[in-house]
Amino acid sequence: MIDTFFIAFWTVMVFASIAWYGYLLFHVGIKGGWDIVRMIRALSGQPAKPEASGPKDP
Amino acid sequence: MLLAPIDWIIIVVYMVGCVVAGVWMRRYVRNVEDFAVAGREMDLNLGVASLAATEVGIVTVMYTAENGFKNGLAGATPGLLGCIMMLIVGITGFVIVPMRNAGVMTIPELFENRFGKHVRWLAGVVVILGGVLNMGIFLRLGGDFLMYVSGLDPSVSFHLELPWFSFDLNMLEAMMTGLLIVVLLYTVLGGMLSVLITDYLQFLVMGAGIVVTSVLVIWNVGWSNLIDGLWQAHTSGVKLVDTSIAGETTKVAMAHPFNPIKAFGWGWVTWQAMLSIAIVTTWQTTIARVLSARDASTAKAVYRRTSFYYVGRFGLPGIWGIGAFLYFWHQGGLPQGMGSLTAMPAFLHTILGPGLLGIVIAAMLAAEMSTDSGYLLTWATVIYNDIISPCLRKPLSPWAKLLTVRLLVLAIGVFLVFYGLWYELPGAAWDYLAVTGNIYLASLFTLLVGGLYWRGANSWGAVAAIVLGAIGPITFLVVNAIVDKKDQISPEVAGWSAFGMSFAGMIVGSLVGQAMGKGQPAAAESSLPAKEQAP
Repeated sequence: MIDTFFIAFWTVMVFASIAWYGYLLFHVGIKGGWDIVRMIRALSGQPAKPEASGPKDP
Repeated sequence: MLLAPIDWIIIVVYMVGCVVAGVWMRRYVRNVEDFAVAGREMDLNLGVASLAATEVGIVTVMYTAENGFKNGLAGATPGLLGCIMMLIVGITGFVIVPMRNAGVMTIPELFENRFGKHVRWLAGVVVILGGVLNMGIFLRLGGDFLMYVSGLDPSVSFHLELPWFSFDLNMLEAMMTGLLIVVLLYTVLGGMLSVLITDYLQFLVMGAGIVVTSVLVIWNVGWSNLIDGLWQAHTSGVKLVDTSIAGETTKVAMAHPFNPIKAFGWGWVTWQAMLSIAIVTTWQTTIARVLSARDASTAKAVYRRTSFYYVGRFGLPGIWGIGAFLYFWHQGGLPQGMGSLTAMPAFLHTILGPGLLGIVIAAMLAAEMSTDSGYLLTWATVIYNDIISPCLRKPLSPWAKLLTVRLLVLAIGVFLVFYGLWYELPGAAWDYLAVTGNIYLASLFTLLVGGLYWRGANSWGAVAAIVLGAIGPITFLVVNAIVDKKDQISPEVAGWSAFGMSFAGMIVGSLVGQAMGKGQPAAAESSLPAKEQAP
């Protein structure tokens, strides 16, 4: 019984990890690229893009 | 089967792209703050990419796969604990918010405000001792992976005849030294800015490689076959013979593959939980991303979003290790010279075809390079900021500071070539990493918690915590290097004793200091960092 729980648990964890890695690859891949552009602009002393991908919470 | 032309093209394109991007960022480095913390301009998604890339190196893939090879799915327990702790810290801001708000570049710098200059210096020494020893095995394990996955023999060496002397050049050592030179090139020139850009590229390549490889392993083995195979391996008590260390044989049996308590015991699991909270709040390479973040809110968000990555960090390479165990079990055992660490890359070599092999090697090169660059930069910054700088009578000029940090990155690289390529692991890779990391994790975690959240903490307690926290892991390393295997100290005993002694040192030392009216620096009356107290 307890082993069945652990098997189900690890199965969910492994497949969720693959899905999460795949999602982050695209999401962070696109938004991280914009973060680089904004960072380089800020470091160059040019006005930064207003909407960086930073969190919206206060 | 060795590498096909398409594999070489993928690897070369990736390497050239990384070096060009890294070196190009040099133009934006104006001072040490740009070099060490990217001018504190890092945003959320770049932070996620950088943290994820730095925290997954070939060494990570090797030890997490080894955990899967020996402990099945239960081997992913440290990743699950890391995820939980990271999420808690990302939600509450425990330790990381006051640290980011303090505006410091390293953790020991924070301690000067609270405990005085000598504690900062001592903390810096302990951080370097633990951090650099920890990094010491990266090159060897990375080289092992690349050799086995490429189908090459790691013992192959070339005899070189030069006009003035001749020597034998081992292929593994030559390859890893070359890789380190490439990493040093862009890290020395561009610092954290180069690290962030290359981490981003490496995150993409590495993520694709991890997903593709995991899907391929599950496809080849079959999920239900994998679960059944693990259970049969455990219940039948089958043992694979590890002959990776010359003249020594170790039998590897599959522990309970699903239940972490049955596989490891409560002592190890609770130590891992303690270690995880210490790592996510104290490990300088992780904290470097907190300190590079635009603000505390961004730092918290980076933690929340990266947290689940930790499950895959252990779980997915763990699947590769399990695949290797089942494959070699059905082949009749491990080949001569192979062990629990090197079985996984050898197994991957059998299932990856041309093109895929190139992607996986590029992915693992990406993992190794991002980890090496992040670690080199972090430890060099600590040496300059917390060990050299407090000893200077006059502050260095900006260019001299920058030059010093760059030379330190170079010096650590040279140390790694010599230490990293001759050190032979006495036990499991993860235990070595956890114990060497523990040299500073226990004491610095105690100092952070005490300094930030206990008004009674003082420098007497801080010094006692640092010294006592380092004794347990150092004793473990020394004793286990000289005694027989059966008499060795278990990693959880060394780990728990480090945390226990450190906490006891902080409490008893602070109380003694208070009783004697000593130990409190004049400037620090509050538990908040000095920069937060400013009006």
